[in-house]
Amino acid sequence: MRKKVRERSKENKNKERPKENKVRKFTSMMKKKLVLLFVAVLAIFAGLLVRIVHINRDNGDSYKKQVLSQQSYDSTILPFKRGSIEDRNGSIFAYSEKVYNVIVDAKLMNTDEGVHIEPTLRALKECFPEADIDEIRTYIKENPGAQYKKFLKRMENDKVVKYREMEAESAADSELDESEKISKNAVWFEEEYIRKYPYDSVACDAIGFVQGNNVGQYGLEEFYNSTLNGLNGRAYGYLNNDGTIERTIKQATDGNTIITTLDVNIQSIVEKHIREFADKYKNNYRLGPAADNVGVIVMNPNNGEIYAMASNPVFNLNDPRNMEDIDLTRYLSLVSGNKTEPDVPIDDEVAVDEEETEDITEEISADDAGEETLNEEDITGQAEESGNSEAETVSEDPLESTEIKNAVWKNFCISDTYEPGSTMKPFTVAAAIDAGKITGNESYECDGALEVGGHVIHCHNRFGDGILNVREGIAKSCNVVLMDIAFALKRDEWLRYNRNFNFGLKTNVDLAGEVNGAETTFTEKMGLTDLAVASFGQGFNVTMIQMISGFSALINGGYYYQPHLVSRVINPEGAVVNEYGDRIVKQVISSETSDKIRDYCTAVVMSDPEECTGWTARPAGYTMGGKTGTAEKLPRSAKNYLISFIGFVPAEKPEVICYVVIDHPNVEDQSNSTRLATLMCHDIMTEVLRYLNIFPTLELTEEEQEQLKNSELDFSEGAVSENAVSGNSVSGNEAQEGEGQTGEDAGTVSVDNAMVPVEGEESGERVIQYDPETGFPIDPNTGEVLDPVTLLPIDENVPSDLEF
Amino acid sequence: MKRYQAVKEQRTYVDRTLIFIVLFLLCFGLIMIYSASAYAAMRANEGSAFYLFSQAKATLIGLAAMVIVSRFDYHILRKLAWPAYGVSCIAVLLVLTPLGMTKNGARRWLNIMGQSLQPAEICKVGVIVFFAAYICANLKRISKASGFLQTMLLTFLPCALVYFVTDNLSTAIIIFCIVYIMLFVASEKSIWYILGAVAVAGLALLMVYVVENNIIPAEMSFRLNRIKAWRNPEAYASSTSYQTLQALYSIGSGGFLGKGLGQSTQKLGYIPEAQNDMIFSIICEELGMFGALAVMLLFILLIWHFMMIANNAPDLFGSLLVTGVMTHFAVQVVLNIAVVTNTLPNTGITLPFISYGGTSTLFLLTEVGIVLSVSRSIRFE
Repeated sequence: MRKKVRERSKENKNKERPKENKVRKFTSMMKKKLVLLFVAVLAIFAGLLVRIVHINRDNGDSYKKQVLSQQSYDSTILPFKRGSIEDRNGSIFAYSEKVYNVIVDAKLMNTDEGVHIEPTLRALKECFPEADIDEIRTYIKENPGAQYKKFLKRMENDKVVKYREMEAESAADSELDESEKISKNAVWFEEEYIRKYPYDSVACDAIGFVQGNNVGQYGLEEFYNSTLNGLNGRAYGYLNNDGTIERTIKQATDGNTIITTLDVNIQSIVEKHIREFADKYKNNYRLGPAADNVGVIVMNPNNGEIYAMASNPVFNLNDPRNMEDIDLTRYLSLVSGNKTEPDVPIDDEVAVDEEETEDITEEISADDAGEETLNEEDITGQAEESGNSEAETVSEDPLESTEIKNAVWKNFCISDTYEPGSTMKPFTVAAAIDAGKITGNESYECDGALEVGGHVIHCHNRFGDGILNVREGIAKSCNVVLMDIAFALKRDEWLRYNRNFNFGLKTNVDLAGEVNGAETTFTEKMGLTDLAVASFGQGFNVTMIQMISGFSALINGGYYYQPHLVSRVINPEGAVVNEYGDRIVKQVISSETSDKIRDYCTAVVMSDPEECTGWTARPAGYTMGGKTGTAEKLPRSAKNYLISFIGFVPAEKPEVICYVVIDHPNVEDQSNSTRLATLMCHDIMTEVLRYLNIFPTLELTEEEQEQLKNSELDFSEGAVSENAVSGNSVSGNEAQEGEGQTGEDAGTVSVDNAMVPVEGEESGERVIQYDPETGFPIDPNTGEVLDPVTLLPIDENVPSDLEF
Repeated sequence: MKRYQAVKEQRTYVDRTLIFIVLFLLCFGLIMIYSASAYAAMRANEGSAFYLFSQAKATLIGLAAMVIVSRFDYHILRKLAWPAYGVSCIAVLLVLTPLGMTKNGARRWLNIMGQSLQPAEICKVGVIVFFAAYICANLKRISKASGFLQTMLLTFLPCALVYFVTDNLSTAIIIFCIVYIMLFVASEKSIWYILGAVAVAGLALLMVYVVENNIIPAEMSFRLNRIKAWRNPEAYASSTSYQTLQALYSIGSGGFLGKGLGQSTQKLGYIPEAQNDMIFSIICEELGMFGALAVMLLFILLIWHFMMIANNAPDLFGSLLVTGVMTHFAVQVVLNIAVVTNTLPNTGITLPFISYGGTSTLFLLTEVGIVLSVSRSIRFE
């Protein structure tokens, strides 16, 4: 183009311009302007190029990420199913159910000029009556490009199946007009799992609940969170060589199921009696609940398996945040300030604590009844605890208060410490015998009180019990005898045994939230008075689980088993992944000592009612051992008590142990209310023993027969629990699966079935009848009396060697 | 006479470089259309080469038209000036008749024997031909106020038709720009044109300022809304500026050498109709800044050739024809790239020869045919 050119002006002039004489030329000025234009275009191009470079330089990295993150739109998470929690017989405490979120793709809806919208919405309305169709219609209209909008949450499977069927039918129906067809894929369903608890509140403290479906809170749900959870899967697509989307699915790994040692029926029995107690003594003496806390643990002393663990109040695991049905009066102090000290300003908290401490010490030394002086440390520790809760003196709705919720969710059996009281006495005696400090044949004289380190410490019976041997000392729960034994044992040995029995240490029970109470146990600094009161269980704190685990060791031959609630972990295919056998942690006392303690404890229950404290606990027909406890609470001046009873059956070879704690019972004379604990233990044991097929070995008196008859009616009518009935029908085949695993032997099966409310089966029929004379079971078919152990017919002339 | 014969013996000048550039751009465009559209075509169950074949067909017809037009003496077009103007206007009006066709919610197409045709593209060629002849005939008058007004009226008619009948602002602007620059080049008082352009630019900036500060509520018109979205694309990421933002992601993720031909991920449904207006962003993503630079250099070469032909054309008419075509190409390329890089608010302008669009390619090639015809009449000494 750089060549010189020449125009054909002359020729043009002559030939082709008939009208105008001269041909108009592109002047040099025009040429310059054109060049100018070209330069301008060049400049603009350069500017645009700079812009492109800038986009790359300034935003290149973030845009690259953006592009990649958009790609992940095509991959969806496939949620895993959290494992179930089952009881020892396969009843399901907790399981996860698949539900669906309804997602509307407005962009797809609007294809084909939106003719499919109305038929689709009609189908939605038919399958999901709760859907707000107008809202969806407006949304589709206003957001035509939107591809993901969640409209309904947690829909059941059958509704989704129905919609999918309708969609498939309309797509397959060739006669249907295009405008009548349901939009394909414009509505889809996102999978999700929700946690369900068929038994609602049963074993709520032990089971715990979940937050956001997969994060366990409290109890087993929290402790076994990682075991129960699986791994999310993923479905993702990529373009293959042909440009079509290839879908790859990495399936989710479902979580493992845990089989607990809990028994839903025993648990329900326990909770029924706690509820009865709570109802009966509510507002009995003072306004308020029957007791501040009621805790019960039932376990097998020979392997540490916990059958039931319950405390008051209960909450519904399916709706743990709803506090409306729960009596919260006891917890109101957590939000609206302390009732007893309403005027305590927050700033003076520390000062008040010190005053409080002094007061208590003064009271103890001034008051003749003061049983002890405590370590400065311990009291301050306890005072601080209450001080902390006082600090939250912001008044708020108790139904919404986090403190109250935490208090309700807390498992009293493992998370609260208290002074155990006289249930500690067998431990002291066991230590003394095992250490060789006493033989058990010693006699002591009790004149009602003993002066220790300047304090007069009274016995429960202020007139004195006279001369007592060790067995009688335990049976009558004599403080003086125990103090003498403790003095024989000495501080170091007492501490050694105390630690051997795991006081101040966690039992490592497989539940979240266990405390060890270490800051409230005695150390080497304990003085003589401390040792004196410690001998009968005052001055230091324990947890229920520590108590019952240690007591099991006392009576089972000296073997300390780790208490546990889970026996097996099975994977989704049903194979056992992990088996938690019985774990003997140590032998704490010799089996000879254990035999003696069992004998002493039997005296507590089996002696003449005049001579013992626990006779009311004995279930008719059974031999039982145990120990009562009446602990004076802090501050001593308030005269509040924590009463308890720990009992085991049968006395000779314990198979079940039950520990009942009633904290601050709502009665006038708390110090003499120990019967409440023994009676509750009696009621629970009466039902549990029969359920467990532990047969009575004693003949029944007429009175007892009458009682038994009455309770039998309760037993068959009330069955397990009102809650339990709703349970098994909920979860469909999943929940039913477990029922088949019950079979152990012929004898138990019938009883188990009687207790597990399976649909269509009348539970009353299966209850075992007992021979009124011997208390032995009767074969329901033949009417013959059966041997309680072998379950075979026996000749009535041959006395059972098991008879006590 | 002797001299004339000597000239006649010389072979006619054929701008082979120009033809090569055009063919190269066409081929490159086909490759990019295939790359950008294969996914969308398959999603629509049409086979991956659907858009490629459709475009190739239009390209072949266009090449034929180019060759034929280049063989004709362009002076015929002078006589066809008024008919071209009439045809342009009527073609646009035909959209209102049953021949009109609606695609993607806009009524911009004519359906002639099963072939869709965009009358606005005819209009562009018609306007170039008409105003080249008109300016040629009224060279003195257009520098006067009355003549200028008359010319403006003639300009506004097709612009208004395109804008109001087919609701296509961008094409109306392009047509106006073509005429404006042809007038600027031809007029003796070109300083006024520069002042006019500056004034329009100033007005546009004022408009942007006003909209951005909410002095006029942007809800009044979707075009005002687009200005807001243009200034702050992230705020309208899911609505107005979705396409722009996706194009920016695409450009930004390309880097210097790009992800490689065919490797774009943004074309997989993220940039709507990636083979159309936004194809330049796919070029940036797959071939990087280097590819973008190469494409822009090709267009600069093309425009350079147009300019040289215009400057060496034997007469004013030929020069103005080529000036019009050159302006058409330059404006469209500049606007397209500016829109894709969000330098200007989003409006639908195709990239010549590369974007998918049969009518556009057909008439652009016809225009190149006219330019070649002008270049053939250039004689060397």
